[in-house]
Amino acid sequence: MRRGFGKRSIKKKANLAINHMGFIFRMVFREIRTSWRRFIFFFFCIAVGVSSIVVLRSLIQSVRTSLTAEAKTLTGADVLIQTQQPWTAEGRKIIEQTLERVGILEEMESIDLTTMVRSADEWKTLTTVVELRGVQSGFPIHGDVVLESGQVYFHGMLNESGALVRPELLTHLGIDVGDKIIIGATKFTIRGVILSEPGSRLGAFSLGPRVLIGYKELKETGLVSMASRARREIALKIPEEKIATLMQQLKRNLRNEYVNVRSYRTAEDRVTETLLKAENYLSLVGFVVVILGGIGVWSVTRVFVHQKIKSIAILKCLGATTKQILATYLMQVTVLGLGGSLLGVIMAAGTLVAIPERLTHEAALATGLGEVSLGLTTSAVMQGIAVGVMVSVLFSVVPLFEVRQIKPFLLLRWDLISSRTGLDWTRWGVTVLVAFMLVALASWQAASLEVGFYVCSGFVGITMALHLAAVGVSRSLRPLSLMSWFPLRQAVKNLCGPQSQTRMVLLVVGLGSFSIIGIRAVQVNLLQELALEVREDSPDMFLIDVQGDQVVGVRETISAQSQNKVPKFIPILRARVVGVRGRELSVDGFEEVRRLGSLAREYTITYRDRLEANERIIDGEFWGESSAASPEVSVEASLERRFGIHVGDKMRFDVLGRIVTAKVTSIREVDWDDSRSGGFMFLFRPGVFNDAPHTFVGLLKGPSELDERASLQRALVESFPNVSVIDGLSILKTVKRVIDYVALAISIVGIVALLSGVLILVGSIAVTKFKRLYEVAILKTLGATTRMIMKVLVIEYGLLGTLAGIIGAVGALILSWVLSTYVFEIRWYIEPLQILAGIILTVMVVGLVGVLSNFDVLMDRPLATLRTE
Amino acid sequence: MIELRGVSKTVPSGNEQLTILHSLDLTILSGQYLALVGPSGSGKSTLLGLIAGLDSPSTGQIIIDDVDITVLSEDALAKLRGIKIGFVFQFFHLMPSLTALENILIPLEISGVDDGTSRARALLAEVGLNDRENHYPWQLSGGEQQRVAIARAMANDPPILLADEPTGNLDSANSQHVVELLSKANRIRGTTIVLVTHDRSLTDHADATLSMRDGKIARIQGDETGFWKEVNQKEGQPSY
Repeated sequence: MRRGFGKRSIKKKANLAINHMGFIFRMVFREIRTSWRRFIFFFFCIAVGVSSIVVLRSLIQSVRTSLTAEAKTLTGADVLIQTQQPWTAEGRKIIEQTLERVGILEEMESIDLTTMVRSADEWKTLTTVVELRGVQSGFPIHGDVVLESGQVYFHGMLNESGALVRPELLTHLGIDVGDKIIIGATKFTIRGVILSEPGSRLGAFSLGPRVLIGYKELKETGLVSMASRARREIALKIPEEKIATLMQQLKRNLRNEYVNVRSYRTAEDRVTETLLKAENYLSLVGFVVVILGGIGVWSVTRVFVHQKIKSIAILKCLGATTKQILATYLMQVTVLGLGGSLLGVIMAAGTLVAIPERLTHEAALATGLGEVSLGLTTSAVMQGIAVGVMVSVLFSVVPLFEVRQIKPFLLLRWDLISSRTGLDWTRWGVTVLVAFMLVALASWQAASLEVGFYVCSGFVGITMALHLAAVGVSRSLRPLSLMSWFPLRQAVKNLCGPQSQTRMVLLVVGLGSFSIIGIRAVQVNLLQELALEVREDSPDMFLIDVQGDQVVGVRETISAQSQNKVPKFIPILRARVVGVRGRELSVDGFEEVRRLGSLAREYTITYRDRLEANERIIDGEFWGESSAASPEVSVEASLERRFGIHVGDKMRFDVLGRIVTAKVTSIREVDWDDSRSGGFMFLFRPGVFNDAPHTFVGLLKGPSELDERASLQRALVESFPNVSVIDGLSILKTVKRVIDYVALAISIVGIVALLSGVLILVGSIAVTKFKRLYEVAILKTLGATTRMIMKVLVIEYGLLGTLAGIIGAVGALILSWVLSTYVFEIRWYIEPLQILAGIILTVMVVGLVGVLSNFDVLMDRPLATLRTE
Repeated sequence: MIELRGVSKTVPSGNEQLTILHSLDLTILSGQYLALVGPSGSGKSTLLGLIAGLDSPSTGQIIIDDVDITVLSEDALAKLRGIKIGFVFQFFHLMPSLTALENILIPLEISGVDDGTSRARALLAEVGLNDRENHYPWQLSGGEQQRVAIARAMANDPPILLADEPTGNLDSANSQHVVELLSKANRIRGTTIVLVTHDRSLTDHADATLSMRDGKIARIQGDETGFWKEVNQKEGQPSY
């Protein structure tokens, strides 16, 4: 009997719970049915943020998927053995023995180097730097060489001095397939145009377009022995299960050789890691936009609760508990947040479709991928939606907590709404919890707790600063409300009155204009600095791989071509540290040095008898012009700090197989920003390397006329085919382009932020429109003309825009000053016209949006409005 | 039964406390019809709000069917109202975002009634608005809105119905309709009715009329068979 009663009771309770949930869902539906218009702009903000996250994540994930799928093609082999030095007999022996033991399927050798190419046609005077690659017949081991003609690649194309080139080379030199080019002293016939090739270094900085020739032919040009940076490579194809064993054995056996061994998996891991980081950091950009939307949600929820006070009191009077009401409104926010997020996903899908196929195709070819198919990825969509919904809910929780304070009694005595006194601990608790959740959310997006914390702190910092600025400037307006001119007085009252959205709009619009003006200001500073560098007497042409016996000839050629141009030659050698015996540090052998990290890398070294303008001795003494009996070296200051190498220590260097022991006689500080004189970590006293085989780098301030530059390059290449002439101006141009691209990308984020600001502005106008309609109706009844009300609106939003613009501009100036002074360490420069343009743009946007959004207020007939109130 | 024991209400006014309802004992028996009259600011609405648990008294106890509502939490009070008390306001206070039918459904849904729609429709028919169920409040006249409000107040068939000047905002024809609805509820359902009014037609139907002035009961008219009493605690004895 009791059991039966219990069961019935449980069933009854369950029914009741279901009915209560039903009430909440029905209320959500009913509320959204009538008030969705008020929220639409704010959820557009969420949508914009979510779509940024989804687009960025999807893009990178699509690329990542293609990359990992084609890792073998990208690496061009299963395992690669590389060296920057000629193969040693010992090294070759070890490799051959190891390969024989493990058993391989295919093997192919290649050499990569940078050199100059010119047309064989005497009338075509242009020359250019290219990345030359000589390959054996086994090329490519994985993947395909895609040719523009659609022809299938076969090694025979490279036989008898054939060359395949990238299309940029043809454009640059003004030649075509079938024409001849000169590499070194040999003529090659262009047999085709490469669209993509396996094994091209992904994302690596390239000095020029690729030219592919035969391995044998490359060796015959004689360039290999004279090039300072020729990379020799053995590409291997081996069964998957043997890769690990081979890698292990090669690494162990070749540990004392200057050889690098990697597999396609190494590349895959590295690329995956880099892209994952890029994805996480980029999605933070989207996250920041979502947060801006969140600020909008917070603001509208506050106004919404205020407008719903009566309805909430009615519900409480009819028996609804605070929990039920809170649940109803939270559910409503969740549904709208979900709607905004889904809209964001649709926008993201549209954006991805809108990216021209040609662009993705070209990008895929340029990165060496066959094809990248762009599309929404499930994980990006899920993350976008989750972030959108969570931000909506988190930002509305605190203002929704006001619901707790609403007493049903105010339905009887509206004048008795008591203002809260004292601290509301629950609300503060919830605020802290929300802050933690936001940090957690940012950390999840950045995949790093630290980054998440910094992003949130940065955001809070900027928001607080902007908020304080907004409070300050809106207070400064108050005295204007005493002016006798009615439209001005009314406009200021609207801006400074209770419930006005001024501070919030100033905050968000200010943030948008701040990012746009700020980025432009930083860009101007960077470009200004670059222009200064070019104006000064710094070298802008670099001659690489000049052999010792060519120095005089090159100097003569240059002075014959352009008078008064004297190049400066710096001897260059490559060396590795193989031991240090000193006070603090004592290591013996390359294996031990390797454990110290970067000290084991290959250093470019030089010798001279004087210091350059950008060098300063901070310890020890610099040698004079006389040569010494035993080798001496001057060490750059950072090496002393990092590795504890001091004056008096003995260092052992391996210079092209020859071991040199040198005494550290001084510690030098180098001003790396002063590019005119270059910089070296190790500087030797002249004497020891004078007879060692080494090349020279020539620094030259080239002619300013493009024609003269071209003919100088041509003359140098004709006489000294192995010398590469790098044009600093074109590198500067590339750097400028990169700065422009980065600035454009960040400006787009700024524009999105400003767009969010505008949406929030429109939204805040929409939610407070009832009040405005009522006030305007009263004003009209009292005799105000439409023209006068128009004036009020123009002044109000004009002032709001001016304040937002000023806040943005001041913030931008501070940002550009901080970045210029502390990050880029360049001179700070202000472009007043640009700042003014930024402010005017903000005023126009805010003014236009404000007046247009209130257009119906102007047109409204007062009687209808007063009746409904 | 509603019992008020030593109930008073003071509110802060500047630096001082303003007494808007002096200490009062009152017993209202089930099924009675009581009208509260008096000039504006005399404490009528405050008294009504205290009985409904919309506000808490500064002193004293309010006992409804043996439950002291002054010790209940805000949510427990809400639940009690949902079941036991219906409230009708002068300004109707319908939810603007809901249709007439949905407004009546709300108390049913809040108290977890399975399918309240048929009952809500029946109530809408009872107040003569069955053709208006999908109309929003702004599409209804004042009288129609008040009839929806009465139907809403009676949705859970509460034993107590409180009304604050229910005809205060209506013309005489609509007022008449409202008067009939309230007296019918009292007569047929046996609902206890306490209302604040200036309307003679409403006091005419009442078992008794309490006149209030300056937060005290000044006069009683009609049935005085002991269902109510007033004590002025300052003087420590009944004032009549």
